[in-house]
Amino acid sequence: MATSLANIFHKCSVTSLENKFLTLSITCSVPQTRKKSMFPFPPPRLRNPTWFTKKNRSKSDEYLTPENREFVKEVVQDTYNKNLPLAQDITTNVEWTPKLQRTGVIARKIGIYPLWMKDGKKVATTLLQVLDNHVIHYYPPEEYQPVRKIRNRVYNKKGCLLIGAEEGDPTAFTKEYCGLFTESGVMPKKILSRFFVSPDATLPLGASINALHFQVGNYVDVRGKTIDRGFQGVMKRHGFKGMPASHGVTKTHRRGGCIGGGGEKGRVWPGTKMPGHMGNKFRVAKGLKIYRINTRYNVLWVSGQAIPGETNSIVYVYDTKLPLRAPTKPLPFPTYLQELDESMPEDVYDESVHVFSDPTIFFKGE
Amino acid sequence: MLPVLTRNSITNVCKGLRRFSSALPKSDTEVSKLKTEKLKREILEFRHAYPEFLPDPKIEFRNKIREKLERNDMVARRTQVDIPEFYVGSILAVTSSDRHSGGKSNRFVGICIYRGGCGLRAEFILRNVIDHQGIEVLYQMYDPSLQKVEVLRLEKRLDDKLYYLRDALPEYSTFDPNMEAELMPEGAPVPVNPIKVKLKPRPWLERWERQNLQGVQDLELPEKFYIKAAQVATPWEKYDLMKEYMRTIPVEEQTEIFSEVQSKLQSLEIDRKKLKRKRVIVKPTKLA
Repeated sequence: MATSLANIFHKCSVTSLENKFLTLSITCSVPQTRKKSMFPFPPPRLRNPTWFTKKNRSKSDEYLTPENREFVKEVVQDTYNKNLPLAQDITTNVEWTPKLQRTGVIARKIGIYPLWMKDGKKVATTLLQVLDNHVIHYYPPEEYQPVRKIRNRVYNKKGCLLIGAEEGDPTAFTKEYCGLFTESGVMPKKILSRFFVSPDATLPLGASINALHFQVGNYVDVRGKTIDRGFQGVMKRHGFKGMPASHGVTKTHRRGGCIGGGGEKGRVWPGTKMPGHMGNKFRVAKGLKIYRINTRYNVLWVSGQAIPGETNSIVYVYDTKLPLRAPTKPLPFPTYLQELDESMPEDVYDESVHVFSDPTIFFKGE
Repeated sequence: MLPVLTRNSITNVCKGLRRFSSALPKSDTEVSKLKTEKLKREILEFRHAYPEFLPDPKIEFRNKIREKLERNDMVARRTQVDIPEFYVGSILAVTSSDRHSGGKSNRFVGICIYRGGCGLRAEFILRNVIDHQGIEVLYQMYDPSLQKVEVLRLEKRLDDKLYYLRDALPEYSTFDPNMEAELMPEGAPVPVNPIKVKLKPRPWLERWERQNLQGVQDLELPEKFYIKAAQVATPWEKYDLMKEYMRTIPVEEQTEIFSEVQSKLQSLEIDRKKLKRKRVIVKPTKLA
């Protein structure tokens, strides 16, 4: 390239042309050497997010007097949860549109019980308690570093909202971990999670999110870690049929049997279903309907009883991605912008749900 | 009506009693102590009439907030339908609206052979023989299509489950659908029916000889069945403290739970008694 440019300069010595190519010539004049990597080896493919620090401090006896203990408590109370933005004070000029992605919330799966519909049908619902969610940090799209960089692709035009839930004792956490919370002023949380949001849907630091972030009748996706079942055989893990219990069958009752053919295909094909570790993986249950919301305890009643995770485990709730279950009415944006108080009805029901304090159902004749 | 007592308030009362015991005359403290004891006992009595208010026997399914919400819903449903005290072995009549025949309702009379589930998942099975055909219906206790639950005969049997009636002679599970409710004197203990049921000869649905049943007559099996039953028996399980601990809810927790719903349940019970009295007066006596 340098030679071809030199030829052009040789032929026409017009100064204006020279100026035009000035920028190009600058880049060309710099010798093209590769920037030395800071690693002596190829850089790691995965980088942990910035909030992945050591969390818990090793326990040690502090030999504090009761007075000192009280003092530490007071200091903790005075340092955190001050000047957090109230829900009423959050303002936004942006109207909700279906393309905007709102933040999700951290919740706890607290159990399963049935609700009855007005047409008499029984529906198994899972109760998800939305915890005390607070915004800890916001990474704008240009700042957010994903765990794995995908080259040659414009990825992720969304910002990243770091949200924490469940207040913990700051003296039990490391200094580094507590440092994550200094910016927002929120009491250090036990659970941290990141949610991708549209830059317009971001929330101020320290803002809290409650159960009315969602609305009854809408659909959500719930992500959780499935129950850890350990190393399991093929019958439990993949639902194989096993082999007969009798009729001369020996030593192969719960075995998988053949795992492949011979000849060309004479090997175990990748993805063959075999025994192995089962569960303890993140899975998403999609398109679950919200039937009821309790504003006092921040509980969502969500359809289905197969939400990943044990009772009392942590799950993450998002607006659904399923196109046919997209909300029809505008959602509270960027979140529900009112404090929950006494004037709120304690329970909000979907119109199809039979309220337990309503009279007995009588079906109409034709 | 009795005041609502939480566990804390009970302990506070006790503490207060201890503190002022010297100041008060002894008899008074004793009387109030007895009163609180009595109240506690009354609250604990609820566990027989309302077993489904207690948390799940499986520890891993428990959650306090869920249970509280569940209990509130149960009480809300009980304001609309009267679900009386009954046990396995009692004879019930359940009237329910039928989704598949609009405008009509069904009334089924039968003996309760199973009662289980906790919270809103509580359920019971009624069994009767109708036109020489054994019929069983599983009712969800808090199903809003249940219109009425009547106890026609309040009694217990010798066993916790009466599934063996399926293999018994049909006369043991045949009850008149037009049966009248038997009134019991108030406050009387629930009678236990010591009837011993005669089973049909094998084959059976289950191996009844292995279940240590009290309410069946001699099974008349060959000796080998009893030998095998003795081999697979687990007589040590009743001494397993850990199992017992997992299965049962401690008294303190029970008092806490029932004192929470007690006032509501009791007002419901009072309403029910009033209704019952009214019914007794209104009921015309049959002549001849």
